[in-house]
Amino acid sequence: MAEKINLLVSGGTTYFSDKVTISDARSANSFNSSPLSVSKLDQVEQVDGVAVASAGVTMMLDEEMPSVSMGMPPMIIGTDLRGEDYETFQVTYADGRNLSPGEVGKVVVGSDLVTKLDAEVGSTVTLRGEPFEVVGILEKTLTAPDSSVIMPLSDAQRLFQRSLPEMMQGRVDATQLATDLTVYVEPGTDPDVLATTLEASVPGISAMGPQGFKDQIGNASRLLNAIIFGIAMISLLVGGLSVINTMTMSVAERTREIGIRKAIGASHGQIVRQFLAESGFIGLLGGATGLLFGWLLTVALNAAGNDAGTALFLVTARLAVGSVLFAVFLGLVSGLYPSWHAARLNPVAALRYE
Amino acid sequence: MTLIQAVDLTKRYTLGKDNYVDALRGASVSIDAGEMVAIMGPSGSGKSTMMHILGCLDSPDGGEVWLNGRRVDTLRGRALNALRRDEVGFIFQGFNLVPTLSALDNVALAAEYAGRSRGQAVETARQTLDLVGLADRVRHMPTELSGGQQQRVAIARALVNRPAVVYGDEPTGNLDSANSVEVITMMRRINAETGTTFVLVTHDPEVAGACGRAIRMRDGEVVGLEAEVVSGREQAA
Repeated sequence: MAEKINLLVSGGTTYFSDKVTISDARSANSFNSSPLSVSKLDQVEQVDGVAVASAGVTMMLDEEMPSVSMGMPPMIIGTDLRGEDYETFQVTYADGRNLSPGEVGKVVVGSDLVTKLDAEVGSTVTLRGEPFEVVGILEKTLTAPDSSVIMPLSDAQRLFQRSLPEMMQGRVDATQLATDLTVYVEPGTDPDVLATTLEASVPGISAMGPQGFKDQIGNASRLLNAIIFGIAMISLLVGGLSVINTMTMSVAERTREIGIRKAIGASHGQIVRQFLAESGFIGLLGGATGLLFGWLLTVALNAAGNDAGTALFLVTARLAVGSVLFAVFLGLVSGLYPSWHAARLNPVAALRYE
Repeated sequence: MTLIQAVDLTKRYTLGKDNYVDALRGASVSIDAGEMVAIMGPSGSGKSTMMHILGCLDSPDGGEVWLNGRRVDTLRGRALNALRRDEVGFIFQGFNLVPTLSALDNVALAAEYAGRSRGQAVETARQTLDLVGLADRVRHMPTELSGGQQQRVAIARALVNRPAVVYGDEPTGNLDSANSVEVITMMRRINAETGTTFVLVTHDPEVAGACGRAIRMRDGEVVGLEAEVVSGREQAA
């Protein structure tokens, strides 16, 4: 799970590394969706260092907040496609194509939502009660777009307006709605510096550069990672103690064998190596078994989560290899004391041991 | 030529406060290269302790042990391992094979500890098992072998590094008479053919009878004449 969250965050960090995100100044943070006016685009683009600004409407795919949410909830992202030429975070299409400027009623679906929405290119999906034609399916990015549906800005604006309380709906001009503006910077401009400049030049906005994103997301993911790390440390302690226990029992049971080995000339180092190899093997076995069951469990849980669009767990090659290597390392460390104890046994006493 | 010389060995086992056993009280022995010697005596006479100390499995509290003109009772660590591995072999009453290893691997293990490659160790082990007449049992696990066969595997293991001396602690103690005779005859043959010195702690007059002479012990001392020659079975019996 931590792996999934880390990849999500690192994907976000990459995405935000060369741009500034603007939200309404009243928002506590940029993931809030107090509306902003599209008319701010002109003001923003006046500022030196801004190459182009793109308006977007971001909202949750489901009208109701999921009761339990970890990671990213499925989102609708409305875009005016103005930033396409400047976007460095490239996505590829598993099937179909990107949206074209001027299109309406079309969507591109992120890979994690394909099952939930039963989407395929050419099919129609219903989002917040309206039908949309699917024109593209995204390749897995391991970050935010996986759980997003991308649609033209005008469609997203309409859906957003409809989601507002009725008394507000009439007072809002849907075509002016935006929850965020994405600013693409001129080459050579520091996006963090530009964010500060933008806040000073355009009233009523809050601008966040790459550093801002890191600070904000870092805090949240650090806490979550700390919790997961805590659980992992407890498992580690229990696992380590099990190996120590197993090896100590093994040494006790095989006292006589150790005596024999010493009597026929095994050196201290040879006895230590033998028992260390055994404990390392126990670690390898445990790690591989744990990985297999863990992987099966994530497949099962993700299959269950897929219907809700939240595939929460991810087993990467790096994680798999790393965890097995670590299990071997843990086995070796836990085997140190029992091995050392075995090597120190007095051969005569060990041979008498029944 | 004197191979093993032990002078005034003492060893005390402390069992508790003011409760101890003097296993050896100034015992001295001298054994020539190529001899086959029995160490005899009643239980508690110190013969096993003597063998453990001569074989450098244990160290004496006092006295000296010399092997091949080198003092060995003071050896520790690597030098001690090297001595146990290269110059001494052991045979035990309970065979003491590693139960999880085949006959061949039990013998090869000792050769591998001596630094031989796996291939060399297996080759030497095979030859040595052939020497004890077990060429057709190399893949058998200890539990698949009779007591006599297990002891022959143990003898092969003791011999695989071509030691100067093989120590046996009641080598026929767990065997019936037919297997005993078989094992004794084999040790006698190997002693004669290879000149390997055998020092056997035993109660068994058959074993003593097969040896050139017997060293008799009582209460931690060597009694009777070291040079007393056991001329044959009739005298031992």
